[in-house]
Amino acid sequence: MLQRYWFGDLDEQGCRGAGTDPAALAKRAATLRTGMESYIPIEWETARDCGVVRDREEYIDLLRAVCTTLARKKIAIAYQSRDVELLQMVRMLDELDNVINLLSERAAEWYQVTNPAFSRKYRYLPAKKMPGIIKRGARGGLADVADEIDRLAGVRSRLMREVSARADEVMPNVSALIGGLVAARLLSRAGGLSTLARMPGSTIQVLGSEQALFSHLRGGTPPPKHGIIFQHRRVHNAPREVRGRVARVLAAKLAIAARLDYYRGVLVPEFLDDAQKRIDEAGVVA
Amino acid sequence: MIRIGNVLVSPGEGGVYGERMLEGYRVWDPYRSKFAAYYLLGGELELEPGMRVLYLGAANGTTVSHVADYVETVYAVEFAPRPMQDLLEVARRRKNIVPIMADANRPYEYAPFMEGVDLIYQDVAQPDQIGIAEKNLIFLKPGGHLVLMLKTRSVDVRRDPADVVEEARAGLSQHLDVVDLRWLEPYHHDHAAIVCTRRG
Repeated sequence: MLQRYWFGDLDEQGCRGAGTDPAALAKRAATLRTGMESYIPIEWETARDCGVVRDREEYIDLLRAVCTTLARKKIAIAYQSRDVELLQMVRMLDELDNVINLLSERAAEWYQVTNPAFSRKYRYLPAKKMPGIIKRGARGGLADVADEIDRLAGVRSRLMREVSARADEVMPNVSALIGGLVAARLLSRAGGLSTLARMPGSTIQVLGSEQALFSHLRGGTPPPKHGIIFQHRRVHNAPREVRGRVARVLAAKLAIAARLDYYRGVLVPEFLDDAQKRIDEAGVVA
Repeated sequence: MIRIGNVLVSPGEGGVYGERMLEGYRVWDPYRSKFAAYYLLGGELELEPGMRVLYLGAANGTTVSHVADYVETVYAVEFAPRPMQDLLEVARRRKNIVPIMADANRPYEYAPFMEGVDLIYQDVAQPDQIGIAEKNLIFLKPGGHLVLMLKTRSVDVRRDPADVVEEARAGLSQHLDVVDLRWLEPYHHDHAAIVCTRRG
């Protein structure tokens, strides 16, 4: 039986070595297809008898060089797809949100201490507006911090636009259904477009509500109706009694959209019109 | 295995992941590595200098680096690109690690690179961990060992870990002799080490 190994081919007539150039060997190894029924593990001495290497040390060195080359190539391919960077972008965006919130709450606390007459009660003062007030009223370290928060907020909104644009490009159909930002968050939760495309609608529906889901599966608690897709207006604006239905229909359509994005990668208007209609119908209270 | 007092260590160049050094040896932390936990809990399978090891689920290469300190060659299989980047760096500095980027569920992908091994160490977060182990037995020499770090929560979060382990033991004993079964508490929750020997 012919055995095809990384260093050469082996059969009853003997052994044909494939050279000693790691790059060439890696190229050849990538094309090998092994049937496991008649497979026999390598004995490294064969490679020596074949004339590819002189001793065990050389054998392992060459094998390492070949495997490393192959691995580097595979890593490069895995990172090539556009969704991989989008993943990091959206995670950075969510992290920025966290940091900005933490910093501005802390800055607000600090400001109140330096300004005994100040209170946020009975004034419409969301955390967003606080850095501006602090910048005007404070000096020194606190003013610096407020400045920095402002700058971070700018970074955040620019990044948000970038994420949206990239999501439109990477997943046009999903983005058309729920908007680029939420689409990107789904992608981030799923871990990639190929994973998202393989998910059933019911999984997409509860992506991001894993805690509620597992507490439901472990026992007792009601199942979650929606995870990340709650962030879409058609879900959170829907009346309570139909919200579950809207989430379910939307998720089902998202699953199809993700597959279209993964396998076709272009906008499919016929699908979108039909899907939008179905989702709107689901939101109608009987 | 080398112990200093009751600290497990391995001989080799330090600084792989910021591990502590003790009298020139690398400290092998049981909270980070399941293999170390297995030894500190009384595991008896020694790593011998002449051993060839197939390591499935090599991840960042932290445990791999300790295993490589003890044995002759480690074939380290990892599927995900991000940890593979780190593993390549570890393998660059340790001349007895062969880094293989492939799916442990598809042994035919790396069969052209494999020789027979004395030990298969498996630590993968997959539902079908027993199936993966069985597929890889083709690389195990008669009399060789399989160390399976069973992540019961990856098999099924809803089931009782003890049931999952019992089922795994039954599955494995069809082809192998199960010689040791050890829960990894208190270092790792709901993980069990199952050690098997291939009938010779």
